Amino acid sequence: MRIYAIAVFLFLYVPIGIIVLFSFNAGRHASELRGLSVQWYGKALSNPFVGDAFVTSLIVALSVAILSSLMGTTAALALQRLKGTPRILFDGLIYISVMIPGIVIGIATLVALVTVFDFLNPLLASIWPEGVKPPKLHMGYASVIAAHTLFTMSLVIILVRARIAGMDRALIEASMDLYATPWRTFYQVTLPQIYPAILAGFLLSFTFSFDDFIISFFVAGANTTLPIYIFSSIRRGITPEVNAIGTMVLAVSLFLLMTAQFFLRARGNR
Amino acid sequence: MREDSKPSHWLTVALLAPTSMWFLFMLILPLIVILVFSFGERSAFGGYSGGFTLEQYANLPSRLKAFQNTMIIAPAGTLLSLVVAYPLAYFLAVRVSRQYKLILLVLVIVPFWTSLLVRTYAWIFILGGRGIPTLLEFIGIEGVRLINTQGAVLVGIVYGYLPLMVFPIFVSLEKLDKTLLEASSDLGGSPFKTFMQITLPLSMPGIATGSMLVFILLMGEFLIPAFLGGGKVFFIGNALVDLFLQSRNWPFGAAVSVTLVVIMLITVSLYMRMIMRSKTGRDESLM
Repeated sequence: MRIYAIAVFLFLYVPIGIIVLFSFNAGRHASELRGLSVQWYGKALSNPFVGDAFVTSLIVALSVAILSSLMGTTAALALQRLKGTPRILFDGLIYISVMIPGIVIGIATLVALVTVFDFLNPLLASIWPEGVKPPKLHMGYASVIAAHTLFTMSLVIILVRARIAGMDRALIEASMDLYATPWRTFYQVTLPQIYPAILAGFLLSFTFSFDDFIISFFVAGANTTLPIYIFSSIRRGITPEVNAIGTMVLAVSLFLLMTAQFFLRARGNR
Repeated sequence: MREDSKPSHWLTVALLAPTSMWFLFMLILPLIVILVFSFGERSAFGGYSGGFTLEQYANLPSRLKAFQNTMIIAPAGTLLSLVVAYPLAYFLAVRVSRQYKLILLVLVIVPFWTSLLVRTYAWIFILGGRGIPTLLEFIGIEGVRLINTQGAVLVGIVYGYLPLMVFPIFVSLEKLDKTLLEASSDLGGSPFKTFMQITLPLSMPGIATGSMLVFILLMGEFLIPAFLGGGKVFFIGNALVDLFLQSRNWPFGAAVSVTLVVIMLITVSLYMRMIMRSKTGRDESLM
């Protein structure tokens, strides 16, 4: 049984190790290991396309994480007071947005937004003052951020709600009894208790958005995120440079996951 | 409703407003638009032109292969993941001491939250020409082709979704009352009998959750068949990418996505009903 577990762990980690190992390849071909070097990291980092894609991914992921943790937390708090049909409706929508495959979200968002934009653009052009170039709505940052946020917002709601459920309600009642205003009770009692869940939600949202390929592939328009760049590079053939970029992507999510884990475990110390 | 709860009622509405807007504009509306599109016609430029026709749905058999592949490989992949995941989840939940349990579980989950894209392309390396086939040549087995086969796609599936299967099974086994196992062996039950009559039935909720999560995600899978199926083993997801981004046949693509969602809903509800039935059946037998 122990041997089996070790085998499964190897199965999970050897492929990741191989990518990391081959990213330090000194040779020019991806599949032949010829000594170790960091030259491909230098190549990758000085490639302007990689730089642009990285910045795009960073902007998207950061916006998604901020939006999701704000909206997810407020929604989770409000859902505590909601009962009956609205509550069931919300629970259903949260459930659906977590379960629905990314490809369906990508397609539906693409089709819906393009339809709306095709309708709005002539309208905007007609009401815009003469001589000034009217704005043209198109797929881009906003559409990727909005589509990612649908999933991650629901994820934050689930995490924060679990935390609220495990919270000591006596403290809130005590605070109310001592004539604290609701805002003060929230700020000094509720928030300190749920903040590990919010932070973990923030980091997981960032990781999801940073790693997502399929939704971005449909709705990013002309923007290229890092996973889209890697995907199109692989189509042209695997190079050690792609391995270096892949390793950096893995490193970013591993770092964030460890941090998220740290905050989720903070629960045990309270 | 009490008078004094009025302000807090408005606060609840205000706090839920942004989330509701998101659900409305990013989930409900887009799904309705897709449904409308699927009954429309393709315009001359590949976009959408209005109308009501079942033409797109009548055209579905032209993508039959993608549906067949998905409907065969997704359940097979789910089952294979379950078979690989169960012993590991059991080991972590029952055999590992408390001290290492959490860290080992985290080690299983972590890969799931890292880029599936990067992890899957690692297998292009391993299964590709200079990976395992080259190693096999050293020991005299030649001409083995692993990549771009159903087997390669299945390996990719198990690799990608194993953590998602292990976690719910672990949770249900963890909750299992260990004294039941002792009682069974004290009463002379063989380890096999104990497993079949106590452990397995009690871990059913975990198995059900894990299988459903993996199955639903597999139904919409694109990356794994794209990388490891090499155009030979393709899923509905691959057909959708082609229809929306390459051949730009949106109404037909919409019909394919609606069909995918409907198949998913039907399978999941059938599965849930099956689980429910087996559960009530057991409760009755206990009485």
